[in-house]
Amino acid sequence: MLTILALASVILLGIVPQQSEGIVIYTGWERHALVGSDIRLSCSFFSWRWTSDDVTFSWSYRSDGARDAISIFHYTGGAPYVDNKGPFRDRLEFVGNPGRRDGSILLKNLDYGDNGTFTCDAKNPPDIVGRASSVRLLVFEKVPIQAGVITGSIIGAVLGLLLLIVVIYYFMRFLVARRVFNLSVSKHGKKGKGKEGSQQRQ
Amino acid sequence: MLVLLAGIFLLHLTSIILLLVATIDNAWWMTKTMSTDVWARWILTNGTWSSNDLPSYYPQEYLQAVQASSILACIFSSLGLFVFVGQLFTLSKGQRFTFSGIFQLIACLCIMIAASIYTDIFHKKELDGWYGHSFILAWISFAFTFISSIIYFVLRKKTAN
Repeated sequence: MLTILALASVILLGIVPQQSEGIVIYTGWERHALVGSDIRLSCSFFSWRWTSDDVTFSWSYRSDGARDAISIFHYTGGAPYVDNKGPFRDRLEFVGNPGRRDGSILLKNLDYGDNGTFTCDAKNPPDIVGRASSVRLLVFEKVPIQAGVITGSIIGAVLGLLLLIVVIYYFMRFLVARRVFNLSVSKHGKKGKGKEGSQQRQ
Repeated sequence: MLVLLAGIFLLHLTSIILLLVATIDNAWWMTKTMSTDVWARWILTNGTWSSNDLPSYYPQEYLQAVQASSILACIFSSLGLFVFVGQLFTLSKGQRFTFSGIFQLIACLCIMIAASIYTDIFHKKELDGWYGHSFILAWISFAFTFISSIIYFVLRKKTAN
């Protein structure tokens, strides 16, 4: 048993990525937003090294119809640099915390022209090998109800109610049965004491 | 007595099958080149049927309510069958099959809700089509589950099996 455990732990350590494995970047997959609203695009990363002082975050944007991506945000040397010439000038704000590996940006006052793919690339020197992660932004006039949300909630609510009713029913029956049991026990007890008392007097 | 029991069991089973067909089969509303139900729409193009999403102008809340209540009707009817078989063995003589009746009644209510919403909200303006067999089966299973629940409420257990 112990040998199996030791073997398993060795195998796991072998599978777990080593120090030179690289940086893993996390963003969302798809974001929905209403026209005119603000949205926070989150970006964080995982790295085996400590967060370096030279950590960099880089956001780029590729519009739905366009072929190339343009750079809209860069954080380096401890300072953020936001877009001041492109489609997001005055609408972009850095709300992340690089010390905590958070490179999120805030887009304000969205419009239909902001539909597209946002790519976040983070580097944590000397851990620089990694794949950038992309999040798609969809801007709606009215946020559509996702297929199946209402269906699932109705079914869940009704079945949950049914379960609750069944549980309450059996619980009430249990309580009533216990009450009856307690009453009958005390009755028998009184009868026994009464008989003894009358016998003693006689 | 056994014949009666078999008949009731068959009626219940038939209603379950009809409910399942109504929920799953895609023939609530049909035209010559299109066959649609509460989940997807099948369109005939160049001799082959292809599956498409439902049009986006369908009111989502009503559509999902129809989906939910038809699924609930199937679930309650199936549970009712098991409850009926269980009550056959556990009821004492002279008692009624109330639990099974309640389950069938709830299933009846659910499929009635589903079919009514569908009848009233969808396809009001489309003139070139007709209601398909799934829709008709939904209403027929409403009748069957209703009759079934009435029988359960009235029937008394005659012999102690």
